[in-house]
Amino acid sequence: MKNENFDVLIIGSGHAGGMAAKILTEKGLNCLMLNAGPVADVAKDAERKPAYELPYRGFKPPGRIEHVFQSNGFDANVWVDEQEVPYTFDAANPYNWVRVRLFGGRSLFWSRQSFRLSDYEFKAKSHDGFGEDWPIGSTDLSPYYSRVEEIFQVAGAMDGPPQMPNGNFVPDDTPWSESMQRFIVASKPFNIPVCKQRRALGRDGLASSVNLLLPDAEKTGKLTSIANAVVRELTIDKNTGQPNGCHFVDRLSRRELSVKARVIVLAAGTLESTRLLLNSGIGNSSGVVGHYLMDQIYGAGVVCSIPEARNGKATKELMGGSAIVPRFRNITTKSDRFLRGYALNVTSRTGAVEPRNFAAYGAELQKKLDEYYGSAFQMTIMGEVLGRYENHVRIDKDKVDAWNIPVLHVETKYTDNEYNMAKDAVEVGAAVSEAAGFEVLSKNAVPNPPGYSIHEVGTCRMGDDPKHSVLNKWCQSHDHKNLFVVDGASFTSAGWQNPTMTILALSMRASEYLATEMGKQNI
Amino acid sequence: MLRRDFVRAVVSVSIAPRLLLSQQTANPAPPPPAPVPWTLGLNPKTPLPETAVVDEIADAELRFFSSQQIATLTRLSDILLPPIGNKPGAIQAETPFFLDFLIGSSPDSRKAVYTGGLDWLDAESHKRFSLPFAKLSNTQADSLLKPWLRTWMNDHPPVEPHADFVNIAHDDIRAATVNSKVWSDVPSVGAQEATVVSLYWSPIEPDLRADNSECSRIPATLTAAPKPSHTSSVYPR
Repeated sequence: MKNENFDVLIIGSGHAGGMAAKILTEKGLNCLMLNAGPVADVAKDAERKPAYELPYRGFKPPGRIEHVFQSNGFDANVWVDEQEVPYTFDAANPYNWVRVRLFGGRSLFWSRQSFRLSDYEFKAKSHDGFGEDWPIGSTDLSPYYSRVEEIFQVAGAMDGPPQMPNGNFVPDDTPWSESMQRFIVASKPFNIPVCKQRRALGRDGLASSVNLLLPDAEKTGKLTSIANAVVRELTIDKNTGQPNGCHFVDRLSRRELSVKARVIVLAAGTLESTRLLLNSGIGNSSGVVGHYLMDQIYGAGVVCSIPEARNGKATKELMGGSAIVPRFRNITTKSDRFLRGYALNVTSRTGAVEPRNFAAYGAELQKKLDEYYGSAFQMTIMGEVLGRYENHVRIDKDKVDAWNIPVLHVETKYTDNEYNMAKDAVEVGAAVSEAAGFEVLSKNAVPNPPGYSIHEVGTCRMGDDPKHSVLNKWCQSHDHKNLFVVDGASFTSAGWQNPTMTILALSMRASEYLATEMGKQNI
Repeated sequence: MLRRDFVRAVVSVSIAPRLLLSQQTANPAPPPPAPVPWTLGLNPKTPLPETAVVDEIADAELRFFSSQQIATLTRLSDILLPPIGNKPGAIQAETPFFLDFLIGSSPDSRKAVYTGGLDWLDAESHKRFSLPFAKLSNTQADSLLKPWLRTWMNDHPPVEPHADFVNIAHDDIRAATVNSKVWSDVPSVGAQEATVVSLYWSPIEPDLRADNSECSRIPATLTAAPKPSHTSSVYPR
C-alpha cells in the first residue's frame, strides 16, 4: 500500500483541522490532510475591480448561493455552489448552510470575534435544568484557551463578568468614544454590562488556519496535504471493525481514490463531518448523530443615529469603536420569557448611513443621507439556540451532489424561546438607545433563518453516557477509539459566543490526548 | 545548491553559446507550419488588449418583463432615483434593462415580487388616475409610493404585500445604478454613494459550473455545420 505509513488522516483544513495538524505533527505523527476544495491564491485568483465590471453589477449570481446572505458579486466564487453541493429542507423551514471549501475553509473569512465559553454554558443544565451539561468545564479548557489566544493574538480588556471569562489578551486600552460612553451610562439602570470587544488580530490582517496553524505543521515535514479531495465515505477494516481510511473523489478529474491511516480525525465543519459519518454508517450506536443541531440567532437589532454627530459634526472623539454586551439575562435573575440569553454587538461608526434607514427616495433621501452621514450607532444580537433532539440533519436518499454523494436534509426551526429572546434584545436595545438620546432609525426583531450565523454546532455532541452522546470528553467516538470529531459538531450546547475559540481549544486538547494515547499504544 | 539548480546551471552553460550563435544566423529557421501551440507565445510582457464595459457599448434585448411592466419599471426607476446634481439617475444607468436581465435570471420567488408588484402598481394607477403608471406625474406617483415606504434592517425588507415590492425594488434600483459605469464616471459629492470597488474572486479551479450554469441550457446562436459538409481534413484524435 502506498499510504500505509500515515498515522492520522485529517479531513478538513479549517481552524479545527489546522489545529489538529499543528499539534499532531509537532508531536511527531505523520498526518495526511484532505480538503474538498482548492488552494485560494489571492495573487492568482483575485483582482480589484469596480462593480460595473462584474457579471451582475455587484449583485450575487442569481440562484447559485441564494442561502448565503453574506455573499455578493465580488466573493460569489469562494462559497460552495448550492447547485454543485445541494442540501434539502422543508420550504416552510429554510436553512442557510454557508460553506467554504477552499483550503483553510471558513477560517479565511470569519469575523474574528473571540470568546471563551463559561460554566454558564458548560454546566447549563445544572444552572437552568434544560438539556445536558458538557462533560468538561471551564477549568478543563482554560489552559487550552490561553494557548489558542496566544496563537491568534486575541485583543481584549480584562473587563469580563463571570459569564464572559477573561483570557490571555493583547491588552486593548483604547479609550471609549463619547457615543460609547453615553451608551454605557444609559445601560447601567438596565443592569447591562458593556465590555470591550474581543477580536483575534492574527498576523498581517488574517487569523486563519492557513497562516497561523498549517505553516507550523508543514515546518515539521510531517504533513501531507491533498486539495480537491471530496471524501465520499470512511472505510472500515473488515478484521477489526474500526475505521481505517476513506474513499474520496478527485474534484476535477472525478477519479475515485482511497487512503488509509491508523486514526481518523474529522474536521470538515459541523455538518460535513456529520454527513460523512451518516453516509459511512458508523459511530452512531447512540442514534444521536445528526441530532441537537444548534446555532445562534442573528439578524435582530437596532440602528440608531446620534444627533450630535450629524451635519458633518462627527469626530473621532465622538464616534467610533465597538463593544460587546455579554449575556445578562438569566444570570442572577430569571426571565419568564426565555431560557439562556443573548449578547449584543455594539458599533459606533462614521461613514454613510444605509438608505434603507429612511422612508424616503430621490432628492429627499439624498438630503437625509447627507445630514445623517457619520452618525450611525447600531447593535445586533447573538442569541443562544437551545439544543433540541428534533432539530436534526439526516441523509436525503433522493438527492446527490455533483460527485454522486448523498446530500443532507436539514430539519430545524426556532421556537418561542429564540423569538422571545430576539424581541427582548430589540426592546432593550431601543430603550437603552433612547435613554442615551439616540434616534432609533430602524429595528428588526425577526431572526435570520437558522444557519445564517455560520455558527452551526452540535449533531455529534459529547457526553459521558454513550447512549445519549456520540463523543466522549476528548472528542473521541464512543464507538471507535480511533475516530475523533474535532470541529463544532461536538458541542453540547451552543452558548451565545462565537464558537471559534472553543473549537480551536477543543481540537488542541483532543489532539494532545490523541498523540499521548497513540504514544502509549492505546490507540 | 540544490541538485536541480546545479543541473539547470550546467545545461544553460552548455546551450548558451549555441543559442547566441543561432540568433546571429542570417536566415533563421521558418516558423513551424500551423497548427502551432500558439499559447506558448503568451508571456508576462505580452500587451493586454483594452476592453470596454459592455453596458456602455451594447444594447440588450428585453427577455423577461412585458412591455407594460418595463414601462412601469422605467417610470418607477426614474421616480425613485432621478439624476441628482451631476450624478446620473437610474434611467441613464440603464437600470431597468439591467434588472430585466437580473430578475429574469433569478428564482421564481424573486420574479414574483417584481411581476406582481409592477402589475399592482399599474393597476393602482389606472384605478386612482385612469392612467398607466408610466404616464403619472411625480406628484401622482408619490401619492402611490410614499405610503408603502418603510425603514428596515439588512436582510429584512418588509414582508407585507406591496411594501415588499416597493422597498425591495428601491434597494435594487439604487444598487444597480450606483454600481453602473455612468454613475462611477461622475465623482461623488458629500454623502453620495460611491460605486463599490473591491477584491473580485475569479472562479477558483472551477469544474461543474459550466455544466450547471444557465447559459449551458440556452441553445447556441450558431450551430456547427454537420460533419459531412466539412471540407477540412479530419484529424484523428
